[in-house]
Amino acid sequence: MNIAVCIKQVPDTPSIRMDRERMTIIRDGVESVINPLDYVALQAALDLRDRKGGEVVVITMGPPQSEEALREAIAAGADRAILVTGAAFSGADTLATSHVLAVAISKLDPFPDLVLCGAHTTDSDTAHVGPQMAEELNLPQICGVNEIHMEEDYLTVKRLSDGFVETLQVSLPALLTVTQELCSVGHLPLGDLQIAFSEREITQWGPEDLGLKEEEVGLRGSATQVWKLSVPPPRREGDLISGSPQTLVDHLIRKLEDLSILDEEDGYKS
Amino acid sequence: MDTSHDLEGVWVFGDYRNYFQNRVTLQLIAKARDLADKLDTRVIALALGDKVHQWAMEYVAHGADIVLAAEHPDLKSYQVETYCSVVAPWVEAFQPQVFLAGATSFGREFFPRLAKRLHTGLSADCVALEIDPETGLLLQTTPGFGGELLAEIVTPDHRPQMATVHPGVFQERPHDPGAVGRILYPDVDVVPETRVKLIRSKRQQTRQAKLEEAQVVIAGGRGLGSKENFERLYELAELLEGEVGATRPVIGSGWTDKERLLGQTGKTVKPRLLISIGASGAVQYTTGILGSENIVAINRDPQAPIFNMADLGLVGDANTLLPLLIEALRKRV
Repeated sequence: MNIAVCIKQVPDTPSIRMDRERMTIIRDGVESVINPLDYVALQAALDLRDRKGGEVVVITMGPPQSEEALREAIAAGADRAILVTGAAFSGADTLATSHVLAVAISKLDPFPDLVLCGAHTTDSDTAHVGPQMAEELNLPQICGVNEIHMEEDYLTVKRLSDGFVETLQVSLPALLTVTQELCSVGHLPLGDLQIAFSEREITQWGPEDLGLKEEEVGLRGSATQVWKLSVPPPRREGDLISGSPQTLVDHLIRKLEDLSILDEEDGYKS
Repeated sequence: MDTSHDLEGVWVFGDYRNYFQNRVTLQLIAKARDLADKLDTRVIALALGDKVHQWAMEYVAHGADIVLAAEHPDLKSYQVETYCSVVAPWVEAFQPQVFLAGATSFGREFFPRLAKRLHTGLSADCVALEIDPETGLLLQTTPGFGGELLAEIVTPDHRPQMATVHPGVFQERPHDPGAVGRILYPDVDVVPETRVKLIRSKRQQTRQAKLEEAQVVIAGGRGLGSKENFERLYELAELLEGEVGATRPVIGSGWTDKERLLGQTGKTVKPRLLISIGASGAVQYTTGILGSENIVAINRDPQAPIFNMADLGLVGDANTLLPLLIEALRKRV
């Protein structure tokens, strides 16, 4: 069972802040982490490999520093890692990103039996790239999987979709995107960092290695453009009250009375 | 059969597997009506399944000019690849300008694959859609970049301009039994996906939270600090006859169940009053509460973005205020 896991390095979102004057993201002091659901995908891949044999290849497209995420994946037990990087790849929307990753996966030898991705990322949260890679690779796709069982030569998976609990069988090769519920393990064991950082080579592929032309990747290969970034406008000018806890509670009670949620004389209106 | 020109307008994918999905479809038909009027074109809704006539009638009553319907036994269960085999050739034949789907589980699985096959752009989980008066392009507003930002996305050269849309951001039109529209059954060649087999599908056995219908919603964020503190919100909600909602970090910490998630990947609420407690106001959360008639926010940080959208902002520690507030309310009962 050879498995490719697609991962993405994302900003550690709780620490993201905007420079509201320059309309840029403040990157100083913001740590990058492996997208949490991609961790889950990696953990699932390692489990399957340990039971069925084969290898786990981790792949990411991103700037050179994405190598850190791949090193971390190797430390956790991945067999090899591929960094798809190059200036031409930057500014890609999901159409262009899925194209580059699909081409990279199709170059893997042997071609993986299974491609796993996190169901969505914490940064742009489109959930597009998984199904779009499946389309380009002509693989069956199942999104939002929370249980995987390996059978003879197919998988039985479960997922929750629009309020329905679905059990599906899928032949291999296939592409699955996975949710948090798949693994109870929140953190990967750190593994052997020394191996990760000294012995293992990380393969690097640029546009030429993949036979990609500039017009099919990055900004030029994208169908969508971001016209404008904005912070959500102030909804309305509200009152901002500071003061003792009792003062604040009094303001809130008055608001409840104004809205007739709380009646001024006799307690509640139903 | 119509000329293809009649069918090139604003398309809406008809998603009807449950009550909620049907409502989202009707919301999109209403928005498509508005966009189509600005573009001087038609609203075309799609209805795929084994028996879809009742849905087609419903779409006409809610504002669709034309319904493109396909009935086939293999379309009975929602299957991405099978549905692509019908819809992609329709798009290529009839050339819609805009194509919308609800950001339901199915919409978010189906549209990326379809957009890729059509080699066009797709934006995810939009919270606003407008037509740019100068270019006529669809302006697709989507929250992104870690939740602090709204991005306005356009698809300049590729067609159709595709978007999935967050449930609950648009209002459906009233059912008009006298509305006139055409229901067409174009030729289809259904190619079923044989690599994926649906073995079992059953409705999830959980009570439907009344969150979306509540007049008062108490929304808690990570600033509450612990599960015990979060649980005070149930007491407050009970006193105000409201429901409790939560931000994503709260769900992630396991303080409450996922059904209470508000925002981009959760529920959209429009209560008379929303009290936001200990949430800084990331866009991924606030997109779910912006429709509230009144917002009161409690947060320690006076710079917290949540105060930009609050009618009343209280700068203070939630865990100090909550017991005082609950006590004050108890006295009023």
